[in-house]
Amino acid sequence: MRCLRSLLREKTEPEIWAYLKVGRETVPVSHWESLLGCARSCDIRLFGEGISRYHAVLKRSDQGGWAVFDIFSRNGVWVNGSQVRSDGSPLRTGDVISLGGSCVTFQNISTEQRQKNEQNRTNSGKLVNPAVTLLELTLLQAFLLLQHAYSASRENFSVIAISFLTLGVLEWCVYQAMRLMDRLGFEIEILAFFLTTLGLSVAASSIPAGLYKQVLLIVASVVLFLLCGWGMRSLRILRSIRIPSGVLALGLLVLNILTSDSINGAKSWLEFGGYSFQPSELVKVFYIFAGAATLEMLYREKNLYAFLLYSAACVCALAIIGDFGTALIFFITFLVIAFMRSGSLATVLMAVTGAAMAAVMAVTVKPYIARRFTVWRHVWDDMFGTGYQQTHAISAAASGGLIGKGAGYGWLKNITYSDTDMVFAYVCEEQGLAVGICMVGAVLLMAFFAFRCAKNGRSAYYSIAACAASAMLLVQLALNVFGSVDMLPFTGVTFPFVSRGGSSLLSCWMLMAFLKSTDNRRGASFAVDPLHKIAPMEEKILPVTAHRKGKAGKKGKGSKKA
Amino acid sequence: MKKIRTRALFVLMIAFFVMAGMVWFVREDYLHGRRWAMAFSTFDNEAEGQLLDCNGVPLAAFGKGKRDYSGDYLTRVANYHVTGDFNGMSGTGVLTRFWGSAQDYDFVNGTSVRRHGTVFLGVDAKADNYAYTLLNSSGKGTVMVLNYRTGEVKCLVSCPSADPVDTEREVEDSAYLNRALSATYIPGSTFKLITSAAALESLPDLETMQFTCWGEYDIAGIKITCEEAHGVQTFEQALANSCNCAFAQITVQVGQKRMVQHVTDYGFLSGHTINGIYTSAGNYPLTFVGDPELAWSGIGQSVDQVCPFSMLRYVAAIANDGVLAEPSFLKTAQPEKTTQLVRPDTAARLQQLMRNNVKSHYEQYISFPGLELCAKTGTAETGAGTSHSWFTGFVRSETHPYAFVAVVEEGGYGLWSAGVLVNDLLQFMVNGN
Repeated sequence: MRCLRSLLREKTEPEIWAYLKVGRETVPVSHWESLLGCARSCDIRLFGEGISRYHAVLKRSDQGGWAVFDIFSRNGVWVNGSQVRSDGSPLRTGDVISLGGSCVTFQNISTEQRQKNEQNRTNSGKLVNPAVTLLELTLLQAFLLLQHAYSASRENFSVIAISFLTLGVLEWCVYQAMRLMDRLGFEIEILAFFLTTLGLSVAASSIPAGLYKQVLLIVASVVLFLLCGWGMRSLRILRSIRIPSGVLALGLLVLNILTSDSINGAKSWLEFGGYSFQPSELVKVFYIFAGAATLEMLYREKNLYAFLLYSAACVCALAIIGDFGTALIFFITFLVIAFMRSGSLATVLMAVTGAAMAAVMAVTVKPYIARRFTVWRHVWDDMFGTGYQQTHAISAAASGGLIGKGAGYGWLKNITYSDTDMVFAYVCEEQGLAVGICMVGAVLLMAFFAFRCAKNGRSAYYSIAACAASAMLLVQLALNVFGSVDMLPFTGVTFPFVSRGGSSLLSCWMLMAFLKSTDNRRGASFAVDPLHKIAPMEEKILPVTAHRKGKAGKKGKGSKKA
Repeated sequence: MKKIRTRALFVLMIAFFVMAGMVWFVREDYLHGRRWAMAFSTFDNEAEGQLLDCNGVPLAAFGKGKRDYSGDYLTRVANYHVTGDFNGMSGTGVLTRFWGSAQDYDFVNGTSVRRHGTVFLGVDAKADNYAYTLLNSSGKGTVMVLNYRTGEVKCLVSCPSADPVDTEREVEDSAYLNRALSATYIPGSTFKLITSAAALESLPDLETMQFTCWGEYDIAGIKITCEEAHGVQTFEQALANSCNCAFAQITVQVGQKRMVQHVTDYGFLSGHTINGIYTSAGNYPLTFVGDPELAWSGIGQSVDQVCPFSMLRYVAAIANDGVLAEPSFLKTAQPEKTTQLVRPDTAARLQQLMRNNVKSHYEQYISFPGLELCAKTGTAETGAGTSHSWFTGFVRSETHPYAFVAVVEEGGYGLWSAGVLVNDLLQFMVNGN
């Protein structure tokens, strides 16, 4: 898995999408959404008497058309002499945009420039061949299967073997399908598959009988991931489903409150003909859908009240359900989105203060939460009572050492919820601390990836969504890992991808789609088409594509041999 | 988009916290891994080993599906509260809590089975057998002997006891209770040892004070009584006479705050662990009670409750010049950990006082041949017209540095039940007869 580290080596180069002529100078526009104004943090800085700090937003649509938006500037924005309306004004090459007296000329890039752009862009999969990484992952899976062969009973082993094979076939199928479409950026998927593999191993040693269901869920999650990713290519679709998905999410939560009985103090499950399902997991995805925003929306909808109210409703619903771990995840994701949208630390601090007060109230009203806090950092005082789960998790994690006891040889599996809430300790015991660290590292890597991509994102929407999604995964991880080892209060949330349980897996894979959509290396994501698809008509380009493809292929073969 | 990028640092910050948390966890794991891993390490069927007493007498053995105890009935029953059982009926035995020593741990490999996990105990099975025979004839109670230099438990018997082999038979009520570790009793006059320490450290002219006893002493209309009038006594004489009237005055002069301080410092109010086995916490009036009740609490009545193990820790620390060698069931030449429990000067004076108790008082009734004994008796009124008999102290000896505590439930006078029992046992353990 070390090979994935080089994911970060690949550079994302700025793309040029249009030019603005400011006086004699020509300024390239390198994003689909750019902020114009005189403030230092603007993407394109313009100086002039009438220019506001944040004046206007330039935005490119999926189809390649451009528009300019006025973001409540003092002196307004004018295109060719007519004032820009509230929903923006379309732009054509040669249009003169007047910003508070200063004029700039807009120039869309020509087809040739566009092709040049495309060629300059880093080819994903060039520096690190994903096939080799995937091969390593497959070897890891084979190794895990071998471990299970020793520990599992004969009838169980056949189930485990089929499950691992299915997973292996699935990942290669996805890879091949992507390759056929010339999409070579496969890092995010490999990270997710790595975690899913660990999850499968946990499920295999925990309850082998329910393994088919787990595999079925994995397949379903991957399909959903592909669908979501495909859908996210178009901002227009995204924006149109924003409000409905928000309503749907809240509706699911309300349904949950109304219908479900309490399981272990929290009524977080819905029953559907034998299948239990945790709506809060899916709401996570919808929440990000609804929360992220495009750049001009950031400035046009200055107030966050609607989003604030919506978030409060979600968190309250979760609190009523009694799922405080997830409520906390939502809250921090809310902070990330709120901060990325408003950029105001004051807002974040205010939200934190408000939440702290709410938390104090929750602790006084619900005694069982208070109990969790009193036991926190004192688990060893009551090893067989309130500290039972944490102490056993810590002990199991330590007894695995650095290299682990082997799949199926742990004893933590005998404890309820060890394969979900204490899954970090579970993996540490059976696979060792080293794998435990890799597991956390994989999620951290996703977060770094989101951060790196954020600056070059096509649209603020993708960047915010990716950051929110990775923050969600990080917080979930932190609560799961540090909660089970008594560094944070134990809240009983799942570890992304690894914890057994369907809804969690589905939502994590869907969150991946957000991360994937920010990646704008060529052929890496759904958002950026590979070279030949953009310019299939241009004869000049085709040989280049073929050449590049050939090179990549050769390299792949070469490294396989090595 | 520049703004968005700056704002995305927020996510990086969260990632940083997670990373810092992981580093912290790995560090903790590296430092405490052994303790963590051993806490619940299960009794592996693969492990082979045995439990031996200090002379190599096997008390229990385990192996592939094999779970044996000693072949001798008396050894099994007398040592039951030391060994415990494989079924976990007694939660305080070595077997139940010492699974770890059949295992090994290192940071890289984690726990591994030690194929020949022989556990050497400090306990002398023969002494246990002897003590059990003595105690069983006196009724219920407990005796515990500790090497105060090394912390090794040399003898631990609790009556009634159970036979771990015969799991079918109905056992006597509370037979699974380890009375030395898990029970608390009214301490009676043995508590005067704690009051004495508090007085020595807080009343500068204690040794020159004179206490007059007319057989009863009136505090705010409440009478504190002695069995006989002790007349005018020094502090040393008052302890030897175990004079309630004198100690009532002393306790009131020390005051509740300082009493509580000493009781807490000497560990009487908290539970302790011995090889991870938990012991009971005691009791002492912590909220304001007024002088009469305070006086009673200083002479070991009132609401006082003491776990015999806590008393043993205290006298063992006095015997070892104030330093407690933490008790352990394992055979060892060096204490695993030492704690300064009692101030050295206080400990030295208490040693003299306890020696004086024996020489000036107890030896008038019983002879302790060959033992340089320092001790204190206790006759704790249960409130039901009976008394628990306590005897606690230590032997001054370099070859047999033993501290002891004995409680015979409803045994009457401290010296006559517990004192006689301890004398018999020590004659066996120290002098071999």
